[in-house]
Amino acid sequence: MSPKSITYKPNSIIYFKGDIADRIFILNNGKVSLNYINIETGQELHEFIKTGEFFGVKSALGRYPREETALVLLDSNVIAFTIDEFEQLVSKNTRVIIKMLKVFSNQLRRIHKQVQNLLYKDDQINSETGLYRIGLYYFKSKKYSQALYVFHRYLVYYPSGKYSEDVTTHIHTAEDYLQKYGQGKGPVVTINDTPQEVDKPQKSRELSGIGKEYYNGINLMGEEKYEEASEVFKKIIQSNVDEEYSLKSRFEIGKCLYYMNNYDHCIKMFTVLLQKYPKHPDLSEALFFIAQSHQKKGNNDRAVSIYRKVLSLTPETDSIYRRAMKELRELERK
Amino acid sequence: MMNISDSLLKRFGKTYKDQDIIFCEYEPGDTCYLINSGKVQIVKIMGDIEKTIDVLEPGEIFGEMAILEEAPRSASAIALGKVEALEFNRENFQILMQGNPQIALKLLKLFTKRIYDQKRRFMILTLEEIDAKIADVFLMLGEKEPPHPADSDEVEINATIDDIAHWAGLPPAECRKVIEHFQRQQRIDIKQNKIIIHNMNDFTRYVNSKRKQLDNN
Repeated sequence: MSPKSITYKPNSIIYFKGDIADRIFILNNGKVSLNYINIETGQELHEFIKTGEFFGVKSALGRYPREETALVLLDSNVIAFTIDEFEQLVSKNTRVIIKMLKVFSNQLRRIHKQVQNLLYKDDQINSETGLYRIGLYYFKSKKYSQALYVFHRYLVYYPSGKYSEDVTTHIHTAEDYLQKYGQGKGPVVTINDTPQEVDKPQKSRELSGIGKEYYNGINLMGEEKYEEASEVFKKIIQSNVDEEYSLKSRFEIGKCLYYMNNYDHCIKMFTVLLQKYPKHPDLSEALFFIAQSHQKKGNNDRAVSIYRKVLSLTPETDSIYRRAMKELRELERK
Repeated sequence: MMNISDSLLKRFGKTYKDQDIIFCEYEPGDTCYLINSGKVQIVKIMGDIEKTIDVLEPGEIFGEMAILEEAPRSASAIALGKVEALEFNRENFQILMQGNPQIALKLLKLFTKRIYDQKRRFMILTLEEIDAKIADVFLMLGEKEPPHPADSDEVEINATIDDIAHWAGLPPAECRKVIEHFQRQQRIDIKQNKIIIHNMNDFTRYVNSKRKQLDNN
């Protein structure tokens, strides 16, 4: 098979709207009109094909019925290609494809925009909220690494966005859970998807700066740069802008001290913290670090009694419980 | 595996681990991808469900709207297993196309398909009555199903009520009311992830009459 040359008399039809589209044509000479209904206005439109121009391409390549009728106006000669023949022809001539790509991409852009304009408005939530909700979805489904990807992207696009403070907190928690429990495991997360402090934009913006600083410190810890991280946390405490972040920062400094093998200071830091905030939400973890520090110093008896205290205070499902249990067993074996 | 030259891979290639997010719904996008090896899952989060819209294989292109306009992504792309893909953007895609007619042709075909899908969706959205919109979504989804046995006019479409609401551009609650009404009339059966349409011709006639009314106005 090879492309066929076909001659038509005026008023003949090359194809009807609704026909199966299995051929692509080039107008060799003559005059052909494509008659179609404009889907926006319902008006019938006529488009005249220029000599040397392809027609019938879209429906043939997309394998859907003809959307227009091709009517011959004057004696005409066309060359008909099967889809394979057309592909062979244009494969040698990328310029033709790129030209068609431009035409089609304009059509696609236009129709896409029109569709978007007609959509139910609530379906078009703004991108910032949308991105945040997707992060939350993954976080709640315990897909921590995906949640972290989305939250990090959020901070790239909306560094001082309305959710940036929440996102920073979630990043910290998600990283923590990923480490403690692993992907797919961990406690149930319940978070409302409305931003905190919406009615206090001024404070919110300031907080978000602190939040970012804090997050920066957490990142440094992740890179095992404990000294630099401690400096960041110290600054947060000194700035004294937000009590929650000051408290969190004290906690992280305690952990940094442990990782820098500065056990005495670690014990002191956490002890002072717990005296001041006996109901600290991360009480068990603080105690765990105190016990670890005693253990490192060779104070095994002290360590054992504190590990026991950790066990009595911590739900069995918590990773700290398991870690304390493991340490205890090893110490008791000795 | 696609037959992609090493120089292209070196220049445009990117690799992803299993479950990596390649891009995320609502993220501003300016890159488009061609899968060289591995599979890519296209998902959308609808309420509390992650819905798979498509699973793409080597040789397929995704994220193509980004070449046309810098709109937020309409779905997320996630690696299923290790994925190697070519990443390109508006600036370099012409370079890529010029040397690779096969890729250009693929994109051309994808655009023709997308134009059709968008036009079809436009037709649905321009109908006035809610039940006509929903009926037309049935027709559209039915067009995608393989032809049913000649003696039966029953068509099964793989969609939930939320999917139908999404396609019809309607609030899910409103959409549910109409669909449940159709069920009470015994015109359809709602199953977990599909809807069985007992007489598609009935819906075709209804949509056609509504469309004619619109044209006459």
